[in-house]
Amino acid sequence: MIPLAYYLACSLVLYIIGLYCLLVKRNMIRLLIALEIMLNAVNLNFITFSSYGVFGATHPLGHAFTVISIGIGGCIIALGLAITLHAYRHYGTLDVRELRRLKE
Amino acid sequence: MFTPLLDSLLVFTITTPLINVLAQRVASKKLVTGYVAFGLALTLLLLPIYYMEGFTQGKVTTILNLSAPPIGVCLEIDALGLFMVLIFLLIGLAVSIYSFQHIEPNPGLIGYNTLLLGMITGMVGVVLAGDLFTLFIFWEIMCVSSYALVAFRKEEWEPVEAGYKYLIMSAAGAATLLFGMSFLYGMTGTLNIAYLSASFAQSEGTVWMYLILTMIIAGFGLQAGMAPLHMWLPDAHSAAPSPISAVLSGAMVKTAAYGLIRVLMFVFPMMHGAWGITLAIFAVLTMFTGNLMALLQDDIKRLLAFSTIANMGYILLGLSIGSLRGLTGSMFHIFNHALVKALLFLSVGSFVYRTKTRSLKELAGIGRSMPISSGLFAIGVIALAGIPPLNFFWSELTIVTAGVEAGMLPFSILMILNLALSAAYCLRMIQTIFLKETTAISEKATEAPKIMLVATIILAFLSIVIGFYPSPFQDMAGNAAGAAVDRQAYLDAVFRE
Repeated sequence: MIPLAYYLACSLVLYIIGLYCLLVKRNMIRLLIALEIMLNAVNLNFITFSSYGVFGATHPLGHAFTVISIGIGGCIIALGLAITLHAYRHYGTLDVRELRRLKE
Repeated sequence: MFTPLLDSLLVFTITTPLINVLAQRVASKKLVTGYVAFGLALTLLLLPIYYMEGFTQGKVTTILNLSAPPIGVCLEIDALGLFMVLIFLLIGLAVSIYSFQHIEPNPGLIGYNTLLLGMITGMVGVVLAGDLFTLFIFWEIMCVSSYALVAFRKEEWEPVEAGYKYLIMSAAGAATLLFGMSFLYGMTGTLNIAYLSASFAQSEGTVWMYLILTMIIAGFGLQAGMAPLHMWLPDAHSAAPSPISAVLSGAMVKTAAYGLIRVLMFVFPMMHGAWGITLAIFAVLTMFTGNLMALLQDDIKRLLAFSTIANMGYILLGLSIGSLRGLTGSMFHIFNHALVKALLFLSVGSFVYRTKTRSLKELAGIGRSMPISSGLFAIGVIALAGIPPLNFFWSELTIVTAGVEAGMLPFSILMILNLALSAAYCLRMIQTIFLKETTAISEKATEAPKIMLVATIILAFLSIVIGFYPSPFQDMAGNAAGAAVDRQAYLDAVFRE
């Protein structure tokens, strides 16, 4: 059986990749993908903990949480894509650096 | 199915789209807004009928386990939650009355009422949740509705840009919060707040605990507009339609403050030494950011949004003190700030409705052409400046004295400095609105429609009443704070069930 620490390291790395993309990337759709990666890191964490909590059995709460969290993640990304579409209509680009008009 | 409050709200939320279809058949758009206002008023009536005990005695009134306790989903209703529910329903009711007129002339606003009610339901659910799983679900109902509402006027560029920024930052915050929760789950195998509290009671501060604490403070703090993570707040609160700004500023940031109070006071009380001072430093940073930036703004809604950030700083300072008096100040300030900020955003909404501009320069002298709206605005601004007969004075005084009492004198002094700063921009607003020469735009404005004034007057009346008779409201806030401090009563109630 693969040790718990490997899974935790994996989810932490996924989370950091997501955060890095959010801070560095310029494309609006890439930012949404970064969000999705962060949410998946969380889901992986829940699944791991639910399998390792009791030896030989899975804990139901983690699974229930993950299923709902996937659904909610889908909602957020769908809404984000809808807003991105409208932003593209207004600005004519997907570059997030162009969305700076509010700063002035 | 759940508790009477949530049942009523959920039924109304789900049936609103059906009423919407009906309203389009009979071509009466006001039907839907009326339905929403009726739903919120009815729910507000249920509050004293079912939960009077919780208000007056500060007891845990209801515990509803939907399945076996340590892992099951549950709802727990105590004085802290009820106090927040009262705020949300009051603000929601005022805003839905205001929306009768404000939203009317815009075509194609079909989802508005459903989303507004969905957002209120989400907030009520968050404060009644007994475990972090339920809390998270309602949290996302609230957040997703608010993303859509901020970007509602999608034919303009500003709401779309603000909505996108808000969505990205807030969803990243929610993911961080969830990451923290997943570690809590991994350590204890439950997400029930009472069971978490019991299992952490004797634990030491390990590295993992600090990691969880950081993630949870960052996640809730982002939604509360805590200083280094506040960038979305002024954009989103100023770009949203005015009634929605009132809900966002008046009620939604308070939900995040509630989340911090619940988690820090119930799950991490043994680490108060660590989070207390950290939160106090961030609170002071938040106050300074909000107040200094507010001084520089010309856009009136943006100015009010920065002032919201500053006030969240005061609330967080009260929480970081962690004593009964500090939390009483925080809870009382949450109530006062919700009323006053909703009042301000609604009356500014009336200005914007008539003049189509948000620039303070162009709104100069509007006090002459819109006397009633400006008078109500002035009541709000005087309260915001913390001038004694109105309600802010009492809660700010409580927080400052609590700080002195707990030996955090430097923070109290910094807060008093901030109160002076906030008085400066409040006086500037009053001077611009009433004393300056009228401009071409402000001269032509006429008084706002009656129904909009009614909603604003309710809030102004409450602010004045609380200002002159603070004690019953302060007692109520004290009960709520007592519920947060007296962890044992909550645990006993849960384990007895």
